[in-house]
Amino acid sequence: MRAALGSPLVLARLAALCAALAFAGVAHGEAKLRLVATTAELRSLAVAVGGDAIEATHLIPGGQDAESFQPRPQDLVQLRGAKAVLRVGVDYDLWLDRLLAQSGNRDLQRGGAGYIDASVDVALLDVRAGGVGPGDGHAHGRGNPHYWLDPANAEAVTGTILEALMRLDPANAKRYEANRLAFLKRLDARTAEWTQLLAAGRGRPLIAYHDTWPYFARRFRLRFLGIIETRAGVAPSPAHLAKLAADGKRERVSAIVREPHEPARDAEFLASRTGAAVVVLASGVDAVPQARDYLSLIDYNVRALAAAFAKPEPR
Amino acid sequence: MNDALAFLALPALACAALVGIHAYFGLQVLARNVIFVDLALAQVAALGATVAFLLGHPAQGLAAHGYSLAFTLVAAALLATTRRWSGRIPQEAQIGVIYVVAAAAALLLVDRAPQGAEHIRQILTGNILTVGWEELRWAIPLYAFVGAAHPPLTRWITGRFGGGWLAEFAFYAAFGLVVTSSVGLAGVLLVFAFLIIPAAIGVLHAEGFRRQLVIAWIAGTAVALAGLAASFAWDLSTGATLVCVFGIALVVAGIARRVRAAPDLAAFVRGLLRGARWLAAFALLASGFWMALAPRADQPALDILESAVPAVRAAYMSGKDLAIAQEATEFARRYRREAAQLRATEAERRWKGEPLDEHQLRRTASFLKSYNEMIRGEEFVVREVRSRAREAWRFAIAAAFLLAALAITPWPWARWRHALRGRDPSR
Repeated sequence: MRAALGSPLVLARLAALCAALAFAGVAHGEAKLRLVATTAELRSLAVAVGGDAIEATHLIPGGQDAESFQPRPQDLVQLRGAKAVLRVGVDYDLWLDRLLAQSGNRDLQRGGAGYIDASVDVALLDVRAGGVGPGDGHAHGRGNPHYWLDPANAEAVTGTILEALMRLDPANAKRYEANRLAFLKRLDARTAEWTQLLAAGRGRPLIAYHDTWPYFARRFRLRFLGIIETRAGVAPSPAHLAKLAADGKRERVSAIVREPHEPARDAEFLASRTGAAVVVLASGVDAVPQARDYLSLIDYNVRALAAAFAKPEPR
Repeated sequence: MNDALAFLALPALACAALVGIHAYFGLQVLARNVIFVDLALAQVAALGATVAFLLGHPAQGLAAHGYSLAFTLVAAALLATTRRWSGRIPQEAQIGVIYVVAAAAALLLVDRAPQGAEHIRQILTGNILTVGWEELRWAIPLYAFVGAAHPPLTRWITGRFGGGWLAEFAFYAAFGLVVTSSVGLAGVLLVFAFLIIPAAIGVLHAEGFRRQLVIAWIAGTAVALAGLAASFAWDLSTGATLVCVFGIALVVAGIARRVRAAPDLAAFVRGLLRGARWLAAFALLASGFWMALAPRADQPALDILESAVPAVRAAYMSGKDLAIAQEATEFARRYRREAAQLRATEAERRWKGEPLDEHQLRRTASFLKSYNEMIRGEEFVVREVRSRAREAWRFAIAAAFLLAALAITPWPWARWRHALRGRDPSR
């Protein structure tokens, strides 16, 4: 054995092999891990963990309604070349399944190495009981999908992302971990600031157009009296609207919350009946110009609401 | 209660105004056979607003309205021109093409737009329930002006230039002006109903434009008020209820026309009843066969019967089975109640008292999931017990349906009996 190792030919071969391996390692280090997220806010969280070691893109153009998203050919190209896909889950981006199947990228299919469901570690709210269709795993009512609006859930989501990135790219594991810790540190500081900003609004009643805010409300102890659009796409009935207006007036609702893509007239109608202000909040990055990344998204929402609370209560 | 009624005052006014102008245009739309022209014009207006937005003008500002109007006028010119080609390609097809191209182009443009493009969507998604006085203050004078100015203008154009391109253009332009505003108030579906159905009722029941218009106005306003009342009484989405009530009204108006046109009213009603009996008999016959063939499948006739007369279930289910089903239903109800309570408690703790920690939250979610499974289990039991009983009694139930079908048919049993008796003595 020792003789074999000692022979110059074998030594040369070993050296060549080592050089090749080292070169491959360098090359690998340079090629960035390509990750495709469904939404801009998830992409922002992925970048918070991956830093410049990953190349992250997202599919739904910022500010568009995720439910009415229509994929384009470029999206398939993106998925084909990606090493990881990051989705919201909880039936929020169901259209992705079809796109993934079409992309033919094996690693990205459900259960594949590059498939990351950001919701796996999140404690879900509003899990419905009853009235759920046949259990094919796609039934609605699995829970409210807007979990990223609770900054504390960003910890769980970045944890899931970190675990996946470390698995896909072990060489950079340390870097990813350090990135995430630095992000969480910033997040904690901001969360304390946000909590203080919204302290005045604790328990003060709000009305929302769509049921987007339970996670956000839970974190900052806000109280949503009711929802204008109780079923997606169905306009409210007169009795429902009348009840909301009456409740809102009685409880002195502080603000009617809507997102930019939701009809302004219904929110304004209720605002005029209750004396509350309409506050436009963003559920996603890029939905408003101020929400450029995850932290500024939460920051925008907190400040917009805090401004509404700062105004005197309606009569 | 009274609050909801108070909510319907402005929508009622809006409905009256919308019926007023749309019945007028609807009669002309029907005469020209350009049924979907309103959709095409509204979509083109939305495209105009999209372009304005992309060029940096604020959504719903003056520039946006200007662009909308300009695009609508171009579409009106296009429609007036292509009307002459309608020998080869029906104009309805051209309208369809304008609609889809405008819709798709707006989609492509919005895709390029930065935030805020959502405002454009609001041009097409009005909601009659939340219509405001600020909107009606503009819309009603606009409709009144167009309604008053269009007929004399048309007469003048026809007198001066003959009824060619210019008259057509004036029609489409005036109509486009109205539709762009009304779709923003009431939404695409409801505006289509306002446009076509009152006019159709008018055409069904009168000759001559003026009489048709008066009937369309009266019928349209009455139906709209009935629709608002239905939406209030049954707590339904207002726009969708109005459209459905308008649909029913058209069917009733169609039947009423046949009644009026019948030379012998009694004979007509008899014929109608006979038709209804045949229809019911065939439905029962089909239900009987379906029962014998697939007793475990959905049985709509039996289900309706059971929900109307619960005693029917006792006819084919044993006391034991009924008790099992009853108990399962009770349990499902209890689970639903408990789950609702759990959710309400969780929702309240979001802002009141001590917040639930993550562990408690997960436990709540898993409880709710278990409740869900248990409710589904109980529902399965109810279905299964019933299905087994139906399977066991399938032929008896089918025979009952068959007998009911025979009893309902307006078959000339009596005449046959007479005929037989008449033949008997001759033997």
